[in-house]
Amino acid sequence: MSTTVRAAIAATLLMAAGATQAVSPAQAATPRDALVMAWNLDALITFDPAQIAEVNGNDIIRNVCEPLVNYDLTDVSKILPNHAESWSVSDDGLTITMKLRDDLKFPSGKKATAYDAEWSLHRVVHLGFGNSANFTQWGFHKDKVAEQIKATDEHTLVFKLSKPYPVGLLLSAMFASGSTGILDKELGEKNARVNDGKNDYGNAFFKTAPVCVGAYRVTRWNTNEVVILERNDNYWREPAKLKRVIIRHVPESGAQRLLLEKGDIDVARLLNTDDLRALDRNPAIHVETTVMHGFAYLAFNAEDPILGNPKVREAFRYLVDYQGLGKTVLEYQGNPRASLVPEGAFGALNAEEGQPFKLDLDKAKALLAEAGYPDGFTKKYIVSANNIAPVVAQHVQANAAKVGIKLELEQMADANLFTRARSRDFEVLQIGWGAGYPDADSMISRHAVNPDNRLEAKLAQYPSWRSSWQDVKINEKAETARMERDPAKRIEMYHDIQRYMMKNGPMAYMYQTVRPIAVRKEVKDFAITPFNVVYRTAGK
Amino acid sequence: MPRWVPALGKQVASVAVTLLGLLALTFFMGRMLPIDPVIAIIGEQAEKETYDMVYAQLGLDKPLYVQFGLFIRDMMTLEFGDALFTGNKVADDLARVFPATIELATVSIIIGIGLGVPFGMLAAVYRGSLLDHVARFIGLLGYSSPNFWLGLMGLILFYATLGWVGGPGRLDVMFIDMVEPVTGMLLIDSLLAGEPEVFWDAFSHIVLPASILGYSSMAYISRMTRSFMLEQLGQEYIVAARVKGLSRWQVVWRHAFRNILVQLITVIALAYAFLLEGAVLTETVFAWPGFGRYLTSGLLAGDMNAVLACVLIIGIIFVGLNLLSDLLYRALDPRTR
Repeated sequence: MSTTVRAAIAATLLMAAGATQAVSPAQAATPRDALVMAWNLDALITFDPAQIAEVNGNDIIRNVCEPLVNYDLTDVSKILPNHAESWSVSDDGLTITMKLRDDLKFPSGKKATAYDAEWSLHRVVHLGFGNSANFTQWGFHKDKVAEQIKATDEHTLVFKLSKPYPVGLLLSAMFASGSTGILDKELGEKNARVNDGKNDYGNAFFKTAPVCVGAYRVTRWNTNEVVILERNDNYWREPAKLKRVIIRHVPESGAQRLLLEKGDIDVARLLNTDDLRALDRNPAIHVETTVMHGFAYLAFNAEDPILGNPKVREAFRYLVDYQGLGKTVLEYQGNPRASLVPEGAFGALNAEEGQPFKLDLDKAKALLAEAGYPDGFTKKYIVSANNIAPVVAQHVQANAAKVGIKLELEQMADANLFTRARSRDFEVLQIGWGAGYPDADSMISRHAVNPDNRLEAKLAQYPSWRSSWQDVKINEKAETARMERDPAKRIEMYHDIQRYMMKNGPMAYMYQTVRPIAVRKEVKDFAITPFNVVYRTAGK
Repeated sequence: MPRWVPALGKQVASVAVTLLGLLALTFFMGRMLPIDPVIAIIGEQAEKETYDMVYAQLGLDKPLYVQFGLFIRDMMTLEFGDALFTGNKVADDLARVFPATIELATVSIIIGIGLGVPFGMLAAVYRGSLLDHVARFIGLLGYSSPNFWLGLMGLILFYATLGWVGGPGRLDVMFIDMVEPVTGMLLIDSLLAGEPEVFWDAFSHIVLPASILGYSSMAYISRMTRSFMLEQLGQEYIVAARVKGLSRWQVVWRHAFRNILVQLITVIALAYAFLLEGAVLTETVFAWPGFGRYLTSGLLAGDMNAVLACVLIIGIIFVGLNLLSDLLYRALDPRTR
């Protein structure tokens, strides 16, 4: 070939070689003073604690805008003081007085008082996003909240209740939630905007960086790329061990695994089962699995003539091979569970009583025959296309086929699935739900209680309503249990409700979700619990 | 009026009608999708009051044609609205993601052209030889291998095992925000800011994804180059030129190549346009915060503001590259003037 061509090829090779030399990274380790996490930040749209409605935002915000009280890291049914150092309840149970610490400071060094806390709580109710339910379900309402939640001095908050709810329940359900973070009232009011006559209470301002009391503050957020947190040196506890937390958006499990193995990240939070198995075998890496207070379950439309029959629904309980799933597909993903209250929550049935079913095709057939369908029937079954959901669905479909039930599977995007679930547009639905707080009331108040079963009520936030299922006796029992101030009696009432729901309810719960997090062994004291992932104690 | 005004007017009108039709089709298809954009903002556990409030805020209660009309009106002022699934203005999002894709696409097409054209030429000139078969085989592999698989394999080999390139992401963690985003393209911005370390880090992160995307482009371009060249080399004027005494390569470069340039540019423009659309799978594997991922996420969240703006951009890219090709034809081929 001609000299020109040869020269060109030689030049290209030389350039490539030169480039590779220059390109070899000097070192591939994470900075000593930063915790680097890889996650999927797609769902993160705001850092305003009043608006955050998804798992990632919640995880991060609990380290930036800490709640008034917090769950004990080793036992989530115990509540520990945080910004509120003590509280007392009036004899009639209708007034709760909370005393805040006097050493609370914002990252700027400015003192944080009960007036900031009062404003922060009021705005959650006024803004009316999903989190406001944490307050409105206990009777706090936009029109009255100024009276119901009051700061009587720099350190005291007084809450006026409409009913004498047990204080343990309120602490768990309301005061420990991420929406009780203390924001800087002065800054918020100064930067509030008014759109169409509605005050946004600083929602737009706090979206990119909330100014709160917490161990870290948000210093950078490049959407879908990275979130950077920096240590708050005016934190009232001892300052966080690591100066920065860097959260990188890496949406592919394989990529996260490679980054972790190479040491370019310290923590990987989105990994599929195959990658987890490989990482578990790696001596440099520790895989921590946390049993969460969330479920994957089957929901039946009780308005359907066939699925409305409790015996038919009971038959489905025997079509799920809990043991089999637990040993195979659910590795790193779930723990079999049939009771609607997750293990670990206050009032939950223990592991054995909470999962009494096993695969039993004969029992299922007998129940179907009793219900009047000895030859089975055909129904449509919709499921998410993500993660292991389709595999679990195929499992149920296969077992159902053996007793004559033909389930026509349809996979779809999550957004599509939620839309159909919320509008009652399904026959058999496989979906998930995360409990808001570690008390039996959390699941029961949404999955068992249905205040109004009419279509017009549009109570799409109640999975019980979505299934068109209502049992007035259960509504009453749940209300009684909720108000019961003797813990032992409350637990017994909840056990009773769980046993009933396991047999008759509109859902067949399959497993409690497990969240696997892979951490490099150099990272110490990274506290990973169902409701809190604590960044400030982590060190290297 | 001058002769070119009506011609230009016709062009502009035709482009506008095309884009409008594209947007209308996308908008109405999008509204027919059973995906609820409100849920992306409020979460699926929210109650009816919250839902209604956000629904009204987004203007979803208005009739479809009104919503479309409002969108077109806002678009005229470059006001693309808010992206529901990121919480930012769509215009801000695009200013962030599009340069990232432009950078990746441009480096990829340079690799594609730089390797594809020579390979194609060599394959045509040495047709039937071992070189030809090897070039075609490599091309076929590049064309048929799935990008995300190649991406992961590339990461395992060149990043994890050999450590020759940077990992997923555009930059190493310690270089984030060291450079002011002027164009949004790190390779350029780092040079403008005089930060050679950042430049080399950005280079090490872009070289693998660009090579993979470039590999597919190269396969396509080399194939087309080869086939165009073969067509030319079979013509009589080639024989005449050789008889006149010109060397083989003089004939190839000075005559045959000049004649295929017009067709080649069409092919390259098309390849570039596809790269600019954003290779969502490659962007996912390499955690590249680009246009492809943005459009896909917007689609899955039912976010019509983001999707429509993206569709508009893609429409403009294709139209633009078409126009650019037309101009290049006129410059290169005297017969079209």
